[in-house]
Amino acid sequence: MEIRVRQKKGMAILEVEGELDFSNVEQLQQEIQRRPEEVVEIDLQGLRFIDSSGAGMLLSLARHLYRQGRTLRIARIPDHIREDLEVIGFFRVLEVLETNPNA
Amino acid sequence: MIEVVTGNEQILKAYGLEGSGCSLPAGQVGGDFFEFIACDERTVFAVIGDVMGKGFRAARLMETIRHMLRECIRINPHPLEVVRRLNKVGGYELLKYGAFATLCLLCYDGITGRLSCVNAGHHPPLLLSDGKVKVARCRGVALGLLEDYLGSGVEEFFLAPGDAVVLYTDGLVEACGPGEQRYGLERLKEIVCLQGGADADRMKQNILSDLETFTRGFPQKDDVTLVVTKVTGKGGEMGGD
Repeated sequence: MEIRVRQKKGMAILEVEGELDFSNVEQLQQEIQRRPEEVVEIDLQGLRFIDSSGAGMLLSLARHLYRQGRTLRIARIPDHIREDLEVIGFFRVLEVLETNPNA
Repeated sequence: MIEVVTGNEQILKAYGLEGSGCSLPAGQVGGDFFEFIACDERTVFAVIGDVMGKGFRAARLMETIRHMLRECIRINPHPLEVVRRLNKVGGYELLKYGAFATLCLLCYDGITGRLSCVNAGHHPPLLLSDGKVKVARCRGVALGLLEDYLGSGVEEFFLAPGDAVVLYTDGLVEACGPGEQRYGLERLKEIVCLQGGADADRMKQNILSDLETFTRGFPQKDDVTLVVTKVTGKGGEMGGD
């Protein structure tokens, strides 16, 4: 997995390429955690595979950032990855957390 | 009721329903599981799940969830209540480790032939009836992601003798061969569609051999768990065999 970081008007964009799974999930987690920006966008256009550890980490950090009044935005999700995430209720959880981060 | 457990395989015959399941780990131990749980003189549960992650922690969390599942069924066997309660008690454990678990629960009533299905973030089951395969519609958020379980509720089917239901984990449909292509839901539906004459155990074996043909021994990233249940008796005439 490769992560490229760009900054844009108080927002950090993390472009993730390759495979995000149990073996490297901490790498992306640490990168997100060290960002000070109010909005952190995860650009998944170059992602080929995500496992449950990757999905769980993104939701866990989305909750964490919402609690701080910040936002973790997941963008440009490839169709096959969107389908995998939809099965677990990923987007439903993001919607709920946006209005109530303690849900 | 007859229950046979061999290694990672299990076969069950109870109340006019036969079930056969197996779990094949990929590399180190993972969080996939399945259970057949006979509840009273007429009801049997077939449950499949997948706890996030790999290794010892995922395996331990999985065992905790399985134990809680049995306890939740004992307290109140209504399928939706089982999942709601499991999300409360199991969700707390999962959240502690920043994990979640997907689960699909089937509850079969051997007297009426009614199958109730509740889904928590898992791939919905496939139903084979009269040579046609359909995908159940039940959906829901995985356990441990929200404080209260959120889902589409209980989906019900009335099964006739010969009807079968297939539960599987994502490792099956996401399995890859030497190319990048996935085994996929469409291929699974096709092979399930051809299994009209087979019993539950044979169906399971046929699906796994088709998967093996597809993957050509290519090492997989995720565990594969498959559970097939099939109605052998006629609703209303079964008292528990």
